[in-house]
Amino acid sequence: MLTLPRFEWAEPHTLEEALALLSDRPGETLVVAGGTDAVPNLKHRLHEPSRVVHIGRLGELRFMREVRQGLELGPLVTLAELSRDPVVSRDFPSLGKAAALVAGPQLRNMGTLGGNLCLDTRCTYYNQTYFWREALGFCLKKDGVHCHVVPQGRRCVAAHSSDVSPVLISLGAEVEIAGRGGRRRIPIDQFFVADGVHNNVLRPDELVVRVSLPAGSRGLRTGYQKLRPRAAIDFPMLSVAFAARLGREGCEAATLVVSALAAKPKVVAGVEDLLRGKSFDESAIEAVAQAAYRQCRPQTSVPYDPDYRHEMVPVFVRRAMREALGEAA
Amino acid sequence: MVCRLRVNGDLRECAVVPHSTLLEALRYGLGLTGSKQGCDKGDCGACTVAVDGEAVLSCISLALAFHDGPEITTIEGVAERGVPHPLQDALDVTGGAQCGFCTPGILMSAWALLRRNQSPTRAEIAHALSGNLCRCTGYTKIFEAVEMAAGRMRERRAAAAGR
Amino acid sequence: MSRRPTVPGDVGPPRSGVEATLPADSEAVIPPGRMMPSEERLKPPDWPGGRTEAPHRTFTVIGKRNRKVEGLAKVTGQAIYADDIRLPRMLHGKLLRSIHAHARIQSIDASEALALPGVHAVITGRDLPEYYGIIPWTQDEQALCEHKARYVGDAIAAVAADSEWLAEEALRKVRVEYEPLPAVMDIDAALEHPEWKVNEKARDGNLSKHVHLEFGEVEPGLERSDVVVEGEYWYEGSTHTPIEPHCAVADYDPTGFLTLWSSTQVAHYLHRDLSRVLGLPTQRIRVIQPVVGGAFGGKSEPFSLEFCAAKLSMVTGRPVKILYTREEVFYAHRGRHPMRMHYRTGMRRDGTLTAVDAKIHIDGGAYSSFGLVTTYYSGQLLTAPYAMPAYRFDSTRVFTNKPCCGPKRGHGSVQPRFAFECQLDKLAEAIALDPIELRRRNFIGEQTRTVNGLRVTSNGFLECLDAVERASGWGTKFRRLSYGRGVGVAGSMYISGTNYCIYPNEMPQSGVQLKLDRSGRATVFCGASDIGQGSDSILAYIVAEELGLDLRDIRVVAADTDLTPVDLGSYSSRETFMVGNACLDAARKLRLLIAETLAAQWGCGAAEIVLAGGVACSTGDPERRQMSVKEAFQRTEARVGTLGSVGWYQSPKLGGDYRGGTIGASPAYSFTAQVVEVECEVDTGRVEVKKIWIAHDCGRALSPVAVEGQMEGSAYMGFAEALMEEQVFKPAAPHHGPGLHDGPSLLDYRIPTSLDTPELESIIVESVDPEGPYGAKEAGEGPLHPSIPAIANAIYDAVGIRCDRLPFSPPRILSSLRQGDPKRRWEQARSEFFATGATASAAGP
Repeated sequence: MLTLPRFEWAEPHTLEEALALLSDRPGETLVVAGGTDAVPNLKHRLHEPSRVVHIGRLGELRFMREVRQGLELGPLVTLAELSRDPVVSRDFPSLGKAAALVAGPQLRNMGTLGGNLCLDTRCTYYNQTYFWREALGFCLKKDGVHCHVVPQGRRCVAAHSSDVSPVLISLGAEVEIAGRGGRRRIPIDQFFVADGVHNNVLRPDELVVRVSLPAGSRGLRTGYQKLRPRAAIDFPMLSVAFAARLGREGCEAATLVVSALAAKPKVVAGVEDLLRGKSFDESAIEAVAQAAYRQCRPQTSVPYDPDYRHEMVPVFVRRAMREALGEAA
Repeated sequence: MVCRLRVNGDLRECAVVPHSTLLEALRYGLGLTGSKQGCDKGDCGACTVAVDGEAVLSCISLALAFHDGPEITTIEGVAERGVPHPLQDALDVTGGAQCGFCTPGILMSAWALLRRNQSPTRAEIAHALSGNLCRCTGYTKIFEAVEMAAGRMRERRAAAAGR
Repeated sequence: MSRRPTVPGDVGPPRSGVEATLPADSEAVIPPGRMMPSEERLKPPDWPGGRTEAPHRTFTVIGKRNRKVEGLAKVTGQAIYADDIRLPRMLHGKLLRSIHAHARIQSIDASEALALPGVHAVITGRDLPEYYGIIPWTQDEQALCEHKARYVGDAIAAVAADSEWLAEEALRKVRVEYEPLPAVMDIDAALEHPEWKVNEKARDGNLSKHVHLEFGEVEPGLERSDVVVEGEYWYEGSTHTPIEPHCAVADYDPTGFLTLWSSTQVAHYLHRDLSRVLGLPTQRIRVIQPVVGGAFGGKSEPFSLEFCAAKLSMVTGRPVKILYTREEVFYAHRGRHPMRMHYRTGMRRDGTLTAVDAKIHIDGGAYSSFGLVTTYYSGQLLTAPYAMPAYRFDSTRVFTNKPCCGPKRGHGSVQPRFAFECQLDKLAEAIALDPIELRRRNFIGEQTRTVNGLRVTSNGFLECLDAVERASGWGTKFRRLSYGRGVGVAGSMYISGTNYCIYPNEMPQSGVQLKLDRSGRATVFCGASDIGQGSDSILAYIVAEELGLDLRDIRVVAADTDLTPVDLGSYSSRETFMVGNACLDAARKLRLLIAETLAAQWGCGAAEIVLAGGVACSTGDPERRQMSVKEAFQRTEARVGTLGSVGWYQSPKLGGDYRGGTIGASPAYSFTAQVVEVECEVDTGRVEVKKIWIAHDCGRALSPVAVEGQMEGSAYMGFAEALMEEQVFKPAAPHHGPGLHDGPSLLDYRIPTSLDTPELESIIVESVDPEGPYGAKEAGEGPLHPSIPAIANAIYDAVGIRCDRLPFSPPRILSSLRQGDPKRRWEQARSEFFATGATASAAGP
């Protein structure tokens, strides 16, 4: 069977210990919680850390709290817990749905919210064994210099493949990050950057310690749609998260996020302008779907026909919007 | 390194390296070869074991993460005193195990399902097994087996309650 | 043992004085024709009442829903598969694989790898230079490539080390210098560039095999037709994907004896090829097949790991295990060949076939494998269940720089069956006839011969068609469902074993030894290979039926070359038919002895003796004349001596009288019909198969549970090939060469989950074949064939597009839906169907 590389093992008992361990050897340390992304990647030698820091049993990072400001989630909440939590289902249904659509049941029992948020970007030229990548001549994300997706490209376009992140963006979530120097909170759309090699702002000595869903996002009309060849196991080949506030005067606010296209989830521009003050009639939905189609360019990094995925952008946007309206998709 | 695992009701120690997976520790450290490895990296479910009653993939779990940790149940641990579990019996009777290689994983996923849902529908069964690939059966007889086992377990509980 | 670099031709340390004196076996020991078996031996025993009936009027075991003999071991995790074996002092081996699709190997330097502590040996192609191959005429493989690598992943060196981890590290330290060569990546390149020779054993360019056969007058037949449909079809390659990766454990002991456990489905052929490649005589090799975790044809020939584990064990003097990673299983492959098929099919207005013309190109990958047979099968197995007055096929298999294709469930005939059954659907539309009715009108019948000379005995195809028509509610659905939903039908036939062994010889194809003793227990010894389909259980059921034993009192010892008589293995759907017949004879021989013993004691006729349910009695006076079967065994042992018997199976001479006429000949054929209902999502192109109704004529179902399991598993696998599976490779690009597997993992090579698989309904049809054991025929491969064309035909009924290219993936369906005006075609198809009153003719002429 594929083996794991050699590494040292460290299991901190407190967050503080964990952060100390991370700052001890920055860049040579891999954080593992559920392990569902990290361990396959280790087996593929995509990470070769000298030390693995296992945070999976840090109780202080595993919580779900309803507070006045909204819902606070610890990064070690598992995807399974998220998918069957009654508060999440009631107030943030698209989040529960996205968590329920990750991979298969066992993986959701292991995988964590934090892990899914920090999921390494994926590419058909990257998520392969060392042997396969050697036969390829490696790629610029790991061990090589060329991009095989965009042969002239200088920047890695490996795809953001998390199911929960686009939804969290659509809900206006915030991420709290802790390092030895202290804590910072950022809106989640600022958490991601358009660099496939490392697609978030987390520094090597930092951890995500909290995800906050604002009270104002409770009861939004939401939808999440995922394109995948099989009804389980697969990563998204395309994902669409939509959230909107409907008032008496029609739409008051709306966010549309399309992902599994490139390193950063795409917040479709101009959606609010297209929808503000309107009810979601066919023409409004169509206008948003077409805007998304124009703005999104799927790459060959995701192992499914890119032209087809492009064609599916408006289809899945329509579905997500209709889902938000409570219509059967 | 010594890894102390709670497996099938026992507290067992085995020698591991930091890069040992739970599957390797079970199979090679403890001789519990019932759990299988089929895909190397969490795609097929043949390595499924239950941790505190929930199905997880042991081939992408690190053994040391379970040191002095939760209760692990493997295929070897579901029979009681040598009497096959109703799921085991039902899989045998219905022909739900052909080559048998995915069976331990399927069985543990189904076992975890029946712990939290005594009367699963066909759709719920299919959902619970959707992380376990079977290449022989087309799943039909596996579904029948889980339904049969659930029925027997309900009868058994009803009989015990009525006694 | 210390680290020990090897030298070419080194066969390991000398172990004893005797080993060099015996020659290795390279070919059949008895040249064909020189030692013909006697007529008497070839004649199957003549049992009163034939071999199709129960020993006493009704069956007590056969046809019942029994457990499998190894079932509880499997469901409790106690069954031992190859990777569950760990021997003391065992080393772990790994193979170094080519990073080029096509390259000359200039040098291999293993010194750095050998210098690693814990690395015990490195071997290369020079250590195992002997060529081998499953077909004696096309031996073109080496365990490790000596001169050239022919695909990305071709094995070129092997290491043995203390751990898998260390072996993997050592591989990275082996330095290989390659000279890359132009790579041939598809059929056209193979034909256009004979100078880019993939396989040096090919006589002509990149041609692996060419077959041209014509029966009857094809061109005149086509000219006389009222309608001729012409179509081109593409079948994408796919691979078996058993959940168990290949694994072998070798132990070469100090006496010079090799034991090899391997996840194989052909222990006997592996035994022979090990002898050939390792230079050890067969009597110094024991091959054991442990429980195998799925095969589907993917483990039906020897692989590099078996030779390398053995050689590394010989070199190091320690047991060696090699377990393939999932990625390596994709390189081992031997899966379904990509095929390009061009068909012209003629029909009269009354719906009868006139002539069929097929031109087929087959992408074989780098080696021959079973390719000679594949090439024949691509044509030979099309000639039933429909009568064809004239038939021609021209099939060409080529070599390409990709993993080698071979036999996958339904070997050779799944692709042409797809094309042909789609052709029939188009013909039915052209003459506005119900496609089930069209199939009925062309039914070839039973006890007949096909146009290419295949002997057909029993044939339950019409019952299969009736069954799926009824069960699916065909009459209320075909051309009647709303746009987006549809039904389709297809039929097929398949062989129950081939009538010859792969290497010519006059010995039985299957042998069984049966041991009974005074304990009341029976042990069946047979070389048959249970890969999950249940051949061990079939042996036990037959013995239980004949000798009146409880199934728990029978042990089956199978697929161990030291302990079991030869059976050729689990391929071509031969086990139930051939092993079953051998076992039936062995059991009946002992049953007869027991019956004679009891008859003498009770003064009655032997025909009156019944053995059932653990009791022996006489039908004349069952109350007084009865005893346990154990006592019956003891009395018989006292009368005739130690109890044991043998049975064997050898098929009658079959096949057409022409070159290649025996390929495709089988003692019996199974038949299948399927109806599929689909729903197509027009905005995404996604096809959901709602349900598959499968009716299969398996002769007699010795184990209905096993037969249904085979039917369901086959239909599932066909459905998977139809909708999602494809073994494809990345073309060359600016920064990398050609031939990288598109995604050699179970994440990227997508096989259906429990949520994707449709509802499957199996309907067993029993035609009772005169020559099968109790009338049984095959069930493991035939039922795969119709799934794919039935789905294609259902998609046409649903949305008016023809799916001539596999797989029917959403991108492909969507692009078809956007060409022309499928909805108009769809409307036209139904209006023509109803206008001509095709529905009224469902009763047939």
